[in-house]
Amino acid sequence: MMTFISPRLRKPGIYALAGLLFSAAWLVQGGRLWWVSILALIGTVAGTVRLYQLGGTDTDEGDRIGSRADERQQLVSLRSRALACNLTAITSFIGLTAAVAVKGTWGWPFLVTLLITGYGYLFGLGTYTIAEEGTPDGADTRRQARPPVSS
Amino acid sequence: MRNRIREQRRQRGLSQAELAAALGVSRQTVISIESGRYLPSLPLAFTIARFFDLTVDKMFDPDDEDAGS
Repeated sequence: MMTFISPRLRKPGIYALAGLLFSAAWLVQGGRLWWVSILALIGTVAGTVRLYQLGGTDTDEGDRIGSRADERQQLVSLRSRALACNLTAITSFIGLTAAVAVKGTWGWPFLVTLLITGYGYLFGLGTYTIAEEGTPDGADTRRQARPPVSS
Repeated sequence: MRNRIREQRRQRGLSQAELAAALGVSRQTVISIESGRYLPSLPLAFTIARFFDLTVDKMFDPDDEDAGS
């Protein structure tokens, strides 16, 4: 589906969709704070326009936002995501540990986040290792079958 | 690792933006590779070498740890 959308519109589009959902959530909630949905909507429109503008600039950020990142920019983005995931896992562990220490019932979101990051990491290892590892050729198979020390 | 991209680019009278467009990468990436701050992938290294009609080992010198100048 993403291939039908212009690259420059992809990230602003995802941002707009997320913002609309968040705004709708405030509206559905009702109550005295329904007006927060208006603020969220204004923020979403402003953010979407700004992202679209940035996506047209000749900078690393512009290339990433405009979905035309090359290998170096993708690598930088990947490292940043990995760092964010590490920080999330560490923060979740600290939160969970604190909740256990004070017998707080508010620790479960930290546990859920920790489990998701942990399983996500293991899932990634499994998926990418299987995708990238090859099978040994004949010579390697024979070498492995031989005992390590021959007398 | 030293490389000869800047030297070759200047010999051909190309700007960094023109080289980037020819290689299919961003101008910022050409700058990073020229300054030695980023080592390109093997496919990109071959693309660069072929663009300048050189071999990869002529374009990139692994024995020199200094950044390209």
